[in-house]
Formats: sequence, C-alpha cells, structure tokens
Amino acid sequence: MTHITRVDMVVIALALLLLPYLYINYWGDATRGEQARILVGGEEFAVVSLHENKRLSIPGTLGISLLEIHDGKIRFIASPCRNKNCVHSGWLSLGGEFAACLPNRISVQVIGRQARFDAINF
Amino acid sequence: MMVIPRCARWLAHYCFVGAALAGCTAQQEPVYQDQILALGALVDITLWDVEPELAARASAQLHADFDAVHTTWHAWAAPAHPCAHNGTCASCTAQPRTLAEINERLTCATAFAVDPALLPLITRADQLARASGELFNPAIGKLIAAWGFHSDEPLPPPPSADSVTNLVAQSPSMDDLHITGNTLQSSNPAMQLDFGAIAQGYAVDLAIQHLRELGIHNAIVNASGDIRVIGKRGARAWRIGIRNPRGPGIIASIDMEGDESIVTSGTYERYFEYQGTRYHHIIDPRSGYPASGLVSVTVLHTDTTTADAASTALLVAGLEDWGKTARALHIKDVMLVDQTGKVIMTPELAKRIHFEITPAPQIEIRALP
Repeated sequence: MTHITRVDMVVIALALLLLPYLYINYWGDATRGEQARILVGGEEFAVVSLHENKRLSIPGTLGISLLEIHDGKIRFIASPCRNKNCVHSGWLSLGGEFAACLPNRISVQVIGRQARFDAINF
Repeated sequence: MMVIPRCARWLAHYCFVGAALAGCTAQQEPVYQDQILALGALVDITLWDVEPELAARASAQLHADFDAVHTTWHAWAAPAHPCAHNGTCASCTAQPRTLAEINERLTCATAFAVDPALLPLITRADQLARASGELFNPAIGKLIAAWGFHSDEPLPPPPSADSVTNLVAQSPSMDDLHITGNTLQSSNPAMQLDFGAIAQGYAVDLAIQHLRELGIHNAIVNASGDIRVIGKRGARAWRIGIRNPRGPGIIASIDMEGDESIVTSGTYERYFEYQGTRYHHIIDPRSGYPASGLVSVTVLHTDTTTADAASTALLVAGLEDWGKTARALHIKDVMLVDQTGKVIMTPELAKRIHFEITPAPQIEIRALP
C-alpha cells in the first residue's frame, strides 16, 4: 500500500520540474517589463532583454543616444537634445512605459507579459 | 493493486493541469499595438480585436493624419511661398492652406479667404478661447515666439521685461479675429496664431473619427500623452496610467471606456533654465510670463480638442481660479498638482482615480464653485 513505486517517482519528478515554471509564471510580478522595444525613426531598431545589465549606444538623426539597462529597468542616460526630456523620464520598468527623444527620433517602450497600463498620459 | 490506479490518476491529473496551464499562457490576447513616429509626435495606437490587415491600414491612416495636422498647423514654420512684402499682401492670391500662410496674411490688415478645411479648428479654438476668458489664447503667437518656444529646443535668455510688457499691452485675442464664412480679418496687427495648445488634441480626435470610419470601435490613440479611448479592452475598461509630474514613474491610474479623453498640461514638458530660474512654455497671456502656481493639470472630457485647450487654460488660471474656468468650459473631472506636490481633485474624478505611489501624496478634494 505505502511503498513508493517507479510511477510515483516519475510523478514526483514531474511535479518538481513543474515548480520553477509555475513560480515564474504565477508568483512573479507579471506587470514588470521583460523587454524593451527601441524604435529609431519609427522603425524597430532592437528588442532588448531588461535582465542583462548593459549600456547601448543608439544612433539617431542628431547623434548617439545612450541607454542603460539595469535590473529590469531601462533609461536614457544621454541624448543629443537640449531639453533632455528623455533623460528626465528616468527609469522605465512597467509594461507600457515609454520615453522618447523626438529630436533624435529615438523611442523606448517597455514590453511586459501583461502591461500594467494600456496607455500612459503625461 | 491499489497503487497503480492511484498513480495513474495523479499522472492524469498533472497532465491535465499542465495542459490547461500551457493552454492559458499560449493564448494570445487580441491586442494590436503600434508606435508611429509622426512629424512632431510619438503616437501610440492600441486596438482590441481587429484583423491584422485592417490594423495595418489604421496605422497608415493615422500616420498620414498626424503628419498632415503637423504640417498644416505648425506654429513656427515659414509659409511655403511667401507673398507679403512690407506690410502689404497685394501679391498674395492663393487661399492660405496652412497656419503659417494664415499668419503671414494676418500681418496685413486686409480680409482674406482661407481653405475651408481649416475652419473647423479655427472656430473651435475661437469658442474655447472665449469660454476660457482668453486664458487659452491662441492669438499670442508673438509672445510665445519672444520666449523662444517657437523652436524644437527652446534656449535662454528670456525676453527683456520691456518686450514682454509691450507684447502684453497689444493684447491680441480671438476677439480681434473676425470670421465670416471662410473669410478672416484681424483688427489687431499684433495677432499671430499659435495652436500649440490645441492642435495635438484635434489630431487625436481626427484619428478616432477615422478609426470609427474604418469600423474600429475599441481603441486608444495616445499622441505624446494626449489620449482618447473608445470602447473597451474586451471584458474590461482601458487602464490609463498618469505619469508623475514631479518625478519618475506613475502617480495614479484610471479606468476609462466608452468615449473619453485625458490630457495633462505640465510645466515640466518644455522649458529652459536661465540663471537658476526655470522658464516653462505655458505663458499666461495676462502677464506675459510663464504661468505660476501649478505644476500640472489633468483634465478629462469627451473630446481631446477641448481637454487639450482646457488643461492649458486651467494651468494658466492657477490655484485660485481653476475651478471657475473648469466650470465655464464644462469640465468636471480635474486633477491638479501644485508646487509642493499636493494633489487637488474634483470629487467626480476622485471617485475614479487610484494612486500608484506610496506613500500616497497629500490629497485635497475640492468641488467646482
């Protein structure tokens, strides 16, 4: 009655294998952004993961805009426009958040598995 | 005897649960999203449950719409074919088809006919200017130019006090613009039109109208933060985040559906700094200087054109008088942020808004007078 058979082992192994997947999918914050889409001149330039810390140099019409990715967030750290609205936007991490340097024709939008907001007003 | 069937049951159960989970996550929601870098605006369009070909047509249509509005209503473009010389428009024959051409003709005292396609926004701006007590005043193009905001990158220094006083004393307003059919005449030579506080809202309204004509009834059009939503996102309302005017992130969110616009005017959007003072782009036509007291004004209304002009008018009206101006413009849903970070809301909007920052800001609920 109580001894563990091979079939039981398989079932337990399957259950354990399923755990990480379930954790990531259902306990993780689904509204956090996973990736960011970078547009240059309205065309997709790149889709980047927000889980790989790095800096990116993006060539726009005025020059290079510098982006930084750190721990699931992305921001403009430099851009060849005087007002620096994109830099002042700060870190973007929620699905749907975006920032743009219009003079340099570069925009960044966070893509979440499930966007927290459908649109952002400012 | 008993062990195998029980394990088989477990196994079957796990397979079932696993398959169901896989099914849930694999199922894509029918959301179409596109970002258009149009002339002068970053436009985000979101459509619910629309065939891909139709969605692509909608994107192309909206790209053309936003480009056309920008070209037609650009406040500081030069006319394509200049015709005015030394204050006379004798050699001007063609009907103006852009705001730049209208502004050129306004420098002459004579009446002129304009392309009838320009009239809807001119008359709407005229109505809103009057209803706002000229706090939304699109006739102060010269003042805006003097402040350097007729440039993609506004630069210090600010204009001299004398030149500001001079421009304010000439007090151009929409009262000085006489509209008869499609003929315009100005009785104030200082009038230059600047539709910067209304044209983007107008473009959003035009875009929504064109989406409807394409048979699309569940959508968001977001032009650099000026938003109009129609319909719903399937079973739920559209969820809109409002960016924090005093820092990064989102200050609050609101569910919107049916047909409604949300526009925020903020002093943080365009500005320059000179000798430690920040000068922003929303100029009070009464003083000639950037409006003071409020950092941002968020307004909800059915159409974006009204919400756009109203958010500017309320910001100019300031802490004391915004309520009167809102009432005059038939605006019920208002949220203001003042320089200390305090949030002031009408009770109508307070019921619908959800704060997204902790700790929540200091909040005051104030009914319209």
